[in-house]
Amino acid sequence: MTLTRSASADVTSKVVATTEVAEAFYQTRLRVPTREQAPVLTVEPGQFVQLQPRPPEGVYPYLRIPLSVSAVDEAGGIVDVLYEVVGPKTGALRRIAVGEDVGFLGPFGNGFPTPSTGATPILVGGGIGVPPLIYFGTVLRAAGTTPPILVVGARSKSKHLPDGLLDSASHDVRRATDDGSLGHAGLVTDLLQDAFGEGHQAPVVYTCGPHAMMAAVARLCADHKVPCFASLEEYMACGIGVCVGCVVERANGTSQSSPYDHYARVCVDGPIFDSRQIAW
Amino acid sequence: MTDLTTNFAGIELRNPVLLASGTCGYGEELAPFLDLARLGGIVTKTITPEPRAGNAPPRIVETAAGMLNSIGLQNPGIDAFVQDKWPYLATLDTQIIVNIAAPTAQLHGAMAARLEEVQGIAGIEVNISSPNMKDGGMLFGCSPSASREVIAAVRSETRRPVIAKLTPNVTDIAAIANAVEDGGADGISMINTLLGMAVDWRTRKPILGNVTGGLSGPAIKPVALALLWKVRQAVNIPIMGLGGIATAADALEFLVAGAAAVQVGTSTFVDPGGAADIVAGIERECAAADITRVGDLVGTLRV
Repeated sequence: MTLTRSASADVTSKVVATTEVAEAFYQTRLRVPTREQAPVLTVEPGQFVQLQPRPPEGVYPYLRIPLSVSAVDEAGGIVDVLYEVVGPKTGALRRIAVGEDVGFLGPFGNGFPTPSTGATPILVGGGIGVPPLIYFGTVLRAAGTTPPILVVGARSKSKHLPDGLLDSASHDVRRATDDGSLGHAGLVTDLLQDAFGEGHQAPVVYTCGPHAMMAAVARLCADHKVPCFASLEEYMACGIGVCVGCVVERANGTSQSSPYDHYARVCVDGPIFDSRQIAW
Repeated sequence: MTDLTTNFAGIELRNPVLLASGTCGYGEELAPFLDLARLGGIVTKTITPEPRAGNAPPRIVETAAGMLNSIGLQNPGIDAFVQDKWPYLATLDTQIIVNIAAPTAQLHGAMAARLEEVQGIAGIEVNISSPNMKDGGMLFGCSPSASREVIAAVRSETRRPVIAKLTPNVTDIAAIANAVEDGGADGISMINTLLGMAVDWRTRKPILGNVTGGLSGPAIKPVALALLWKVRQAVNIPIMGLGGIATAADALEFLVAGAAAVQVGTSTFVDPGGAADIVAGIERECAAADITRVGDLVGTLRV
């Protein structure tokens, strides 16, 4: 399994469309200009982009929004981001009109490691952590290897992403809601436990969602000796490794030659980490 | 064509725009976005005598027109800096100022002595102003006598230009500026971040793991300008101005208020190539205003 990186761009993209796909969840489609030195826009599943939803001369909201990518059309220079409107920055992005500018910086970070031949990928997403798994599932399906199982959790039916989006990532989508309004009434870990009981060949888990959910998924995987890769999120400023703001604590016992390595940067050391490397 | 070259405390600068400590790492991370040779120089992220893990996360949070940080000087320590970080920095065609911090005046001096063995360092910036260091930084920079002692310790161990980086979190910044001048500083850089806090009222918790942090970004520019003006009148050594600079106009305002050079900080987090645009903008604005030497603007504030 190799972690890959793509060359990043600092360009101005344009909004093609913004649509509400679930309650307060929006998908914004961006057209990203390609450059001479990078004629094809490449984004690995699991990488993120830093968007600037304001005029460059403005000061509010100030920092960029780091968002994972849910779909890419490399030839057309199209990138989809899917996000929940939770504050001024996501609100500003949602309100940008079709044809208007959004600063686009990226992609950054590593991507999900490709599963070994014959391994069964199980993607476990919660809430607004699902989008990068949609892109990853789509790529896995196109690769023609063992098709991925997609386990998706949400607070309620209204917060579930539409079937059309999830079906593009997997032909085997399993849903859970906290309130039982759709699919299994309970946690994604219940469904993951069930999947482990089905005897899939060499399962490997990829997860993105709330911290507590990913910690529970990582624990369950450790109990079953299943490899688990988690896409982490932290408050982030630069996205390129200079500010050292978006750190997570490494697990005890991982190779730390110096106190300097006590924390890992989500932006450049991640955002995808082997779950055993993190102090959950 | 406007002459952008500047001499700051004996350091020849191609232009008066540098990158601020803590916002450009050790140079390498920014290289894909910014030709560092377009700048006057860069100030490296603070190094300490020993490696440091830094503070517990969350370490940053956005605030109105800016951000708070409580990184806590995560750094590899001076030995790893010299061995692992300096070789890349030495290849850059720009002036490299190394920023240091330590828990005692003596250890500051020892760091300066260690760096004296490294060829190519343009100057030493002394961080007596970090609000996130529990055993140094702002603890020194809030006291005139401690500031003087730290700077004197560095002064006695280096022939290189010594720049004292000041904190705005003091009652009388002119007294601190006088003290570092008296201690032998060749220049001053100001301001470091303003002490700040963000609160989540629902959880009733501070957002930063360290409870408080340092405020930076456009929000602090007026504070920086006012303090710069105050210090300009108090000392005879040159000042590097910083605090919220994001555009060429911002930089020119600092020059007029008395800064001989400027540092671009938090803005690089939003626009990693922006410092080069600021250089280009200064050149354009000065040419349009028939200013032949950028230095002619310094300290020309009409009060």
